[in-house]
Amino acid sequence: MDTTRRGFFGAIGQVTIGAAATVAGATSAAEAASEDGHVPHWGMVVDLRKCIGCQACTVACIMENHVPEDAFRTHVSVYELVKDGHDPAMVMLPRLCNHCDDPPCIPVCPVEATFKAENGEVLVDADKCVGCAYCVQACPYDARFINHETQTADKCTFCFHRTQSGLLPACVETCVGGARNFGDLNDPGSEVATLLRENEVSVLRPEMHTNPNVYYIGLDDVLQGRVAGEAAYHPEMPAEVTHHGEGL
Amino acid sequence: MGVQVHELVGAVHEAAWLPWAVQYFFLVAISVTALLLSLPAFAFGREDMVAQGRLALMTAVTTGITAPIALLADLHQPFRFWEFFVYTHKTSWMAWGAWIVPSYVGLTLAFAWAVHRPGFAALGRGEWRYARLFRWLSLGGESNAFARPLGIAAGIAAIGILTYTGTEVMVVRARPLWNTPFLPLQFAATGFVGALGVMLVLERSLIRNVALEARLNRLLAVALAVVGALGIAWYGVAISGISPRHTQALASVAGFPVWHRIVYWAGLAVAIPFALALLAPRRSGWITGLIAIHAAWMFRWTVFMGGQAVPKVGSGLYDAMMPTGLTGLMGVIGTFGLWLFLFIAYTTFMPWDEAQLPEGDTPDTPARPARSV
Repeated sequence: MDTTRRGFFGAIGQVTIGAAATVAGATSAAEAASEDGHVPHWGMVVDLRKCIGCQACTVACIMENHVPEDAFRTHVSVYELVKDGHDPAMVMLPRLCNHCDDPPCIPVCPVEATFKAENGEVLVDADKCVGCAYCVQACPYDARFINHETQTADKCTFCFHRTQSGLLPACVETCVGGARNFGDLNDPGSEVATLLRENEVSVLRPEMHTNPNVYYIGLDDVLQGRVAGEAAYHPEMPAEVTHHGEGL
Repeated sequence: MGVQVHELVGAVHEAAWLPWAVQYFFLVAISVTALLLSLPAFAFGREDMVAQGRLALMTAVTTGITAPIALLADLHQPFRFWEFFVYTHKTSWMAWGAWIVPSYVGLTLAFAWAVHRPGFAALGRGEWRYARLFRWLSLGGESNAFARPLGIAAGIAAIGILTYTGTEVMVVRARPLWNTPFLPLQFAATGFVGALGVMLVLERSLIRNVALEARLNRLLAVALAVVGALGIAWYGVAISGISPRHTQALASVAGFPVWHRIVYWAGLAVAIPFALALLAPRRSGWITGLIAIHAAWMFRWTVFMGGQAVPKVGSGLYDAMMPTGLTGLMGVIGTFGLWLFLFIAYTTFMPWDEAQLPEGDTPDTPARPARSV
């Protein structure tokens, strides 16, 4: 199976762009789960060495999923790191729902509106969600929000509607540098499985023991958890937060 | 290795639990602790506690009605509230709360009705405009022997409320400031502070009984001492490093001047009424009561709005310390307005100052032929 953008381009020689969905669709969840009993477990491997912080993924997600103006299902945090007085380095960190195997958002939902789908996606049944926002509080990645157009909890779905049709998530599809790789973690031959095998990878907030399915190659330790640094945008309290130092 | 991090691009997250939630946790904590303070008189027959019990019961009923309305308003889909009862998710403390809250409110209203039933019956015997209404309210009798079991049941539900509200917030591991076993105890202790504050203000405005004022002030001093001890214990655990999550919680806010001011504010909000309640228990009811109400409210505002201002992954503080615009403030103004209305209605129409101890375990008296119209 090859569900990376590069793999997609490799197939262009054989089919038209309009039929690209069919190429990726050969590995769609429904088909992959059939006959041999193989059930894909979707995951993402983000190669931070390739991310240029262009926010194309952010925009693609907003356009694909009609995300309201005041929220993000995914975005790229950008940091400037200065280590031991050396030259500053620009570091990108794409953030999204980690579709955890032990998601803390699910047990707290009072009406079972949020659930884990067969292929590992953590989803929200918007017709059932009461908008209590308990899951928003429980998510350790700040990956959930209340959508003020639907008044329900909202989050990344790994573009469930696209993967069901054999397409890549919009953010992966549009990633300029090929930093976002998406595929079946259960398939040893998939590119994401290969990347996990051949690279040292990290997850965000490992101390939360959520078993995330979003992995990072080249993640700096200081960005793994809550980033203790100077904030980018705080219009209401500028005098108070520009000179603070975190820690005891 | 020294590392300096400057966030250049980051998302700011709004508070998902709005000031309505602050109001709910504030009002329901006052209600359940006030209910517990009414039990010595009206469930366990302590005659010397009747005056305190009357104020406590009034406080419990009025805040107990207002609190669930604030809770409902905090739902972004309030008309789907029925789903709590159809799709109860057993692993969610909020789901359990959905069952405990109406149980508590129902039992508290039944308890209050039982306590006031002799008063209703007495008012129904006269020939005046609302006599028929009070006869109907008394259900044709005046026995209140069943107030005792109803009070005990309401007290158990009140403990259920204290347990679920504290645990519901405590289990959120993603927020270190909330994820502490101290929190349920702090909610309970500050709930008592708030309830006693309300009762002191009511005592000053409705009764003016110096002995009762002194007793309530002494109880307030005890509650404030517990709040102070819990705060010091939390800080001690955090600074000692024996609990990483407490240390992480302290580290997440210790560098921000706004949190330094909150700590000083909280310290004064505990120390000042504590000192006044001890030094001048017979003439400080107004000031200790008002500061106590403020302290209980401010604690919840800090926990919920301040807690949500601490990013889980980003840097700095999110702009969630204050609600923006009229929508946010309406949660506070609206619920306080409803609470005030209920107080006026309660003191106007209820025979609250005639509430007496429940009868012994005697059977209900037969309905009297009291109707004369």
